[in-house]
This record gives sequence, C-alpha cells and structure tokens, in this order.
Amino acid sequence: MPISHDHKTANALEIQGVGRRFGGFWAVKDVSLSVRPGERRAVLGPNGAGKTTLFNVLTGDLVASAGTIRMDGADVTQTPMHKRIKGGLRRTYQHAHLFDGLTIRETLFLAVSGVAGGWQRFLPLKPNDDAIGKAENLAGMAGLSSDLDREVANLSHGQRRQLEIGMALAETPKMLLLDEPAAGLSPSERPRLAELLLSLPKDITIVLIEHDMDIALRTSDSVSVLHNGRLLAEGSPENIMSNEAVHNVYMGGAHGH
Amino acid sequence: MKSALFILPFALVPFFANDFWLVQIFGRALILGVIALSLTFLAAYLGVVSFAQATMAGVSGYTVAYFGPNSVDVGRELPFYVVLPLAIIMATLSGVIIGLIARRSQGIYAIMITLAVGVAFFYFTRQNYTYFNGWTGFSGIRAPEIAGTNLRDPLPFYLLIISVAMLCLMLVNGFIKSPLGLTIQAVRDAPKRVLAIGIPTTPVIVSAYAIAGFIAGSGGILNVWYQERISSFSVGLGPIVDILVIAVIGGLKHPIGAFIGALAFVLLDTFAVDFIDRERFNTLIGLVLLAIIMGAPDGLHGLAKSWLARFKKRVAENQV
Ligand SMILES: Nc1ncnc2c1ncn2[C@@H]1O[C@H](COP(=O)(O)OP(=O)(O)OP(=O)(O)O)[C@@H](O)[C@H]1O
Ligand SMILES: [Mg+2]
Repeated sequence: MPISHDHKTANALEIQGVGRRFGGFWAVKDVSLSVRPGERRAVLGPNGAGKTTLFNVLTGDLVASAGTIRMDGADVTQTPMHKRIKGGLRRTYQHAHLFDGLTIRETLFLAVSGVAGGWQRFLPLKPNDDAIGKAENLAGMAGLSSDLDREVANLSHGQRRQLEIGMALAETPKMLLLDEPAAGLSPSERPRLAELLLSLPKDITIVLIEHDMDIALRTSDSVSVLHNGRLLAEGSPENIMSNEAVHNVYMGGAHGH
Repeated sequence: MKSALFILPFALVPFFANDFWLVQIFGRALILGVIALSLTFLAAYLGVVSFAQATMAGVSGYTVAYFGPNSVDVGRELPFYVVLPLAIIMATLSGVIIGLIARRSQGIYAIMITLAVGVAFFYFTRQNYTYFNGWTGFSGIRAPEIAGTNLRDPLPFYLLIISVAMLCLMLVNGFIKSPLGLTIQAVRDAPKRVLAIGIPTTPVIVSAYAIAGFIAGSGGILNVWYQERISSFSVGLGPIVDILVIAVIGGLKHPIGAFIGALAFVLLDTFAVDFIDRERFNTLIGLVLLAIIMGAPDGLHGLAKSWLARFKKRVAENQV
C-alpha cells in the first residue's frame, strides 16, 4: 500500500471528531485524541461511558457515524476491519467471543495465519508448519502452553481471557487495543497480566481500557477519561488522579472502584 | 479419518446381497448419503442449513445428461473423461454462486434463500428446452464403459458408488483440519471475530459452499446414472426436502449422519409400501422426522453415540 506520509512524524493513532450513534443516542460523541507510536494509553471511564464503542469504531467492528480515524498517518475511517488488522492493529474483546469448536492451538494458528496469510490452504496441516510453531509461542506468552489441545468451549473464564490476549499478539502488532483484559481474572492472575503487558516490545502502541486502576496506572504513561461518550480529561496518571472532574465522575456512584 | 471406516461394512454387501439389495438399497443409500453429506458438511462446519443440495446435484446431473448419451435429441455427446470433470466443475461453480447469494444469511434466512434458489432452478429447468429439455428432461442416460468395465453392471457400479462415498467422507474429514477448514469452523463460531484476526469472511463462506457443490455434484453424477433420467422433478421440492429429511434423521453434527440417515430413508422408502400405501409414505416420514427432532435432536448418529457411551460406561462399571 503506497502511503504518502512521513512515518517518523505520524501519530500511531489520530482521531478527530469521532462519534457513534445508536438511533438517536450518541454513545461516543466528538472524541479527538492522538497516541504516539509506542505510547501506553489507558482509557478510563464509568460503565456506559462509551469506551468499548470507541474501540469498536477504531477497529471497524462498527462504522463511525462521524469523524476521521488515522493510523500511522493513513485514513482508515472506511477501511474494513480485516484490512486494519492486516495493517498491524489488534484488539481483545471485553466479552471474549472465541471459536468454541476449535482447540487453543488451532485458534492461535488461525490468528497467526489470518495476519501472515496461509489460512486459505486446504490441504491438511503438517505439524511442523511455521504458523503452528508461532501459535505455540503465543500460547506460551499467554500462559496456555499446557492446554494446547483443549477445546476452547471447555476453557475457564480466565483461560478465555488469556486466549484473547494470545490471539491479539499474533505476528507482533503495531497497535494493541485491550478491552478490560483483567476483568474476571483472579487476584493472583492480575499481576501476571501486568507483567505480560510490561514485557511487550516497547514499540507496540497500546491502548488499554481497564477498571483495575492498579494495572491501568502501572502500565500506562498517559490516560484519557471518557464520560457520557465525550472526552472528559487527558493527561499523565498523576494529573488524572488529582483531577477534580474525574473524581466527581467516579465518586458519582456510576462506578464501584 | 476414522469415520471413513464407517463405510467399510458397505464393502461387504456384495458378498451376500443380490443385485436388488446391492443397487436399490445400499447403492441408492450411499448416493443419497453423498448428496446429504453436502448438507451435513455445511450444517456441521459452517453452521448453515442449506436447501440447495438437490440443485447442485442436479447441475452435475444435467451436465452429464446433456453432454452424454441420452435418448432425447438434446445436447451433444462428449467423451466421459471430459464430461465428468465438467459436471463436477459446474456443480462446484453452482455452489460458489449459491454461496455468494446466501453469504450473509444464517438460520431461517439461509433456509429461505437457498430454497428460493432451488425453486427458481426448478422452474427454470421446466421452462428451458434448449439445455434442460423442459419438464420432460432427459432419459436413457447411461453410465460409460471404462477400460472394458461397464459401469451399468451392478457390481462395478456399486464399487464406484462406495469409492465415491468413501472419498467424499475422507475429503471432508481431512479438509476440516486444514487451515481453510478451520477457518470455516471459526466463521461458524464467531464470524465477527474472524474479521478481527484479519480474515475476510466472504471467501471463507463461498469456499464452504463450493465444497458442498463439489460433494453434491459427485453424488449428482452417480444419481443420474442410477436413475438413468433427469428432469425438473429431480430438482423440485420433493428431492430438496428428501435430502433435508435424510440429513436431519441421520444427524447434522457429524458427516456420517448423512449416510445413516440415507440408509434409514431408503429402507423406509422401499419397504414401507408393503405396510402402508404410497400416499401415506409422506405421513410416515413426517412422523419419523418428528420423533427424531423431539426425541433425538442429533439424529440417529447422536442417538447411537449416546447409547455407545452409556454401554461403555456400564462395561467400565462392571469391571470395577
Ligand atoms: N450495539 C449497541 N446498540 C445500542 N446501544 C449500544 C450498543 N453498544 C453500546 N450501546 C450503548 O452505548 C453506551 C456505551 O456503551 P459501551 O459499551 O461503549 O460502554 P463502556 O464504556 O464500554 O462500558 P463498560 O465499562 O460497562 O464496558 C451504553 O449506554 C450502551 O448501552
Ligand atoms: Mg466496555
């Protein structure tokens, strides 16, 4: 794809006036933000603030009702989701929906060959296939090595979340959108997740929705706060923690943390 | 691969069965089983119930009729080694077209849209005389003689049928573990998620229908040789529903369900007339279908599987 811009100066993500409407209701309204390459950005906000909807628009799960989305300088507002993924974008879902009839190995294999190509082959796989090796590595990163042949339908909630992350890490993404990856994890699993996030290559841009403040603030260098679909505040974790408007929103009882 | 072994007992049939049982019962069951396998394949792995199997089988059947020996003066004869690949290609293409039409539909909508395609094809064959010879269709269609073996003779024909059935089952069993086969199952489980790993869903769905067309087309060639004729009635509502009934009775969850259902269907179809008159057959089949849907939603295959599991459990308990 010939892209006529300078990679050095382009933001990893640059959105302007982005909105998404359901009927007459704007779940996300007039949001503009930019994320530098390699930046770790947390997105906070009470339930129903529009965080997941914003992700859906960024990935192409939903089309934007307004605004423009640029990734690495290229306008992707109208680009179909699978092409954005091929371009280096990955995401996890808040509510894991996975391929229940496949095994962990098969799922991760598809995640690799979806991006790297090769899913179109119709001859049975050889066990020494390149993509299978990569899938097994991903399983290792996600802590699923011992269950490679387990059917996804039989996984525990925590394992499903881990698999979501393993899938999103296939073929080293440029930008990773994580939607509450710690939700439903046990207190003992949470630090492992934080470790994993911190251990990812520094040039991966990460946008993280997370209600667990500890994880969110430990792994991020900047924070955006959404409220009622709009951007309420933006800044360093310290700034946000002492921001009065943010406190009001969170103390308003909309959220339990 | 294991389930292809299910077909093996059918290979023993020639040792004890007469020509009637060989061709009219077991041969016919395997032919209908191949066509129903096309439906079961889509249902089990793409999660879509399609009504267009008789149509895709009809496309290859008509190709064989038009380009092969027939007793109506329509078409032009080509050598069988050209006709057979052509018939398979046409059926596969019909699968591609149906897949493109139905690619966004699931559940009841997929049923409606594939049914609409089937009915449209039925009316088209009735009205078109140039290629389909209208409602009379083609008769006198004969299987070829290959290397001195006449495929019209019961034993060679049966051996061909059983080979095709076996190959189709092996094709399905091998294919579903291939990257594309896995992708098809991924689309069944979570189509949006497939996009989110970088794979466009349309080519995946269309290729599943293409394989269904390939399988139904293989069965369609055997069927037209078995029937020795083809007309719009061969692609009408009757055969469309028969294939669905076979697949549901056998069980939509596993490829061998198609063959189990086909054997049950052919036995009923052949011998029920000894007990009830012809007109009541549909009532009987309807009751059988109802009993299966209510009592064993996974069909005879599911029923057999749960019996086997229970039996194994009991044996294990007795050993303790
Ligand atoms: N597909 C949809 N159709 C209609 N309304 C929707 C849809 N998706 C989200 N909404 C609404 O948009 C608003 C924002 O939802 P969203 O899921 O983006 O919030 P969130 O910030 O992710 O919340 P949470 O913290 O609970 O995950 C909510 O009021 C929700 O009901
Ligand atoms: Mg959410």
